[in-house]
Amino acid sequence: MFFACVLATGFLLGACGKQAVRASEKEFLADRIMQFDADGQETAADEHILSNREGSSGGRGTGGGGCGCN
Amino acid sequence: MKCSASLCGLAYLALPIVLPAMVGAIAPAAVSDAYAEDRVDSTTTWYQERRKGNLGGLTVVHPQFDIGVDVGENTTLDLGYSADAVSGATAAVYSTDAVSSATTFKDLRHAANTGITFYGSRSTLSISGNIGTERDYNSIGVGVSAKIDLPGKNTALALSYNHGFDQVCDFDNGMATALERRPLTGQQACKKKSMLLGEDVKDDSIWRDLSLDATQATITQNLSPSVVAQVGLFGQVIRGFQSNPYRRVRVSGVEAQEHLPNVRGRVALMARVNKYLPEIKSAMHAMFRGYTDTWGVNSVTVGLGYSQYFGNSLLLRTNARIYQQSEATFFKDAFFYETEGSAGEYFTGDRELGAIRNIVGGMKFSYIKFDEDGGNVLGVFDEVSFNLKGEVYLLDELPADPIEDNREGIDRQFLSSGQAVDAFTLQLGMLFRY
Repeated sequence: MFFACVLATGFLLGACGKQAVRASEKEFLADRIMQFDADGQETAADEHILSNREGSSGGRGTGGGGCGCN
Repeated sequence: MKCSASLCGLAYLALPIVLPAMVGAIAPAAVSDAYAEDRVDSTTTWYQERRKGNLGGLTVVHPQFDIGVDVGENTTLDLGYSADAVSGATAAVYSTDAVSSATTFKDLRHAANTGITFYGSRSTLSISGNIGTERDYNSIGVGVSAKIDLPGKNTALALSYNHGFDQVCDFDNGMATALERRPLTGQQACKKKSMLLGEDVKDDSIWRDLSLDATQATITQNLSPSVVAQVGLFGQVIRGFQSNPYRRVRVSGVEAQEHLPNVRGRVALMARVNKYLPEIKSAMHAMFRGYTDTWGVNSVTVGLGYSQYFGNSLLLRTNARIYQQSEATFFKDAFFYETEGSAGEYFTGDRELGAIRNIVGGMKFSYIKFDEDGGNVLGVFDEVSFNLKGEVYLLDELPADPIEDNREGIDRQFLSSGQAVDAFTLQLGMLFRY
């Protein structure tokens, strides 16, 4: 698990320098349908239901980030 | 995974912190711009589950209300309230025939949360608190989270930590052994000194502590002008009373209160990606999550979704998700608890600790209204949106032990309906930004 995390992190960060997205190219990334967990209440309600139906919890991510569109 | 409770606890909490630290120190906040916004957000979710027997199903109504207010150019104060109104059939005893002994119950839980968020040009810092109360459970939580965009604004790091101070009302079993312990019945006082602090009543009810520590770290990365990906690591340690005080388990002819370990460590790894399709103004979504904990529950989740605009104001999203988990190491199908006894010190009748598969599918319609020329909607708001979402759940309970040796089978050990669709949700939401 730990080494999988390291590899995943390295993969993501390895992409950021070589294929950087310019500010002028972020039109689509700024769209609401590209935001993770854009509806906070929906995410919270879904987590509430699933954590009571299933034995696992957490790891469903945090919203926003990465667009850098502001 | 086997290690001492304290060592496992540290490992499960440290993983999400150590990994982002390898990326580099968080850069100091630059000169701030104004990002705070005012909003009012309300969502109500209705969850309905079918159950076996003639006592009806399970109904949960969960309203949420949140308001965010600017208290400066770079600061937002958030206040929120939610509730759970729960009613329906429940199994009193985990046995090969839980349907015949089922009863009904009702409960109402109130929760409130507050938070303050500080915005920088590339970073945010949030501090939050929450409380929850119901007749037999109290919770107090505090949390802090930080998020920063790295230079270039193509990579964002987020880190959060939450601690919960919970209390659970239990029957006062004194020095009884695990198989002598009696359950809570609803007749006990579960007395409280105040809304959030329990008070023990000798030979009746006592309040047991439950401590929760959770951390989460995510990295979000723009991979191209139309693709964004996120990887996250979650760790949690729960210490204290984790049994359902009302639930009995029939073990070798004795119906005792279920008995779970006092410590649980959990780790989850999540990865997800969104891909925009500019030609048809839509997006595809995919996610994967792997989970493991010290009770032996391992699970995998895979999800797919698709979002499509119709014009500028209508948005349709469809989603599908499949989840499968293995049972806890001490979980047994009811027949084997009754004939063989427990697998060691612990025993449980919790369906969520058995081997299950859960398939979810749904759709969400959104109507989004904002003035493209920068004006106001209805003369007041920057943006107004209404959402209607529906999902169906297909839950399969899988045998935890060799089914060919189980003379009673597993069909009646839980109240699950056994129908193709055993539950659904309807959710109605409204958001106003101003």
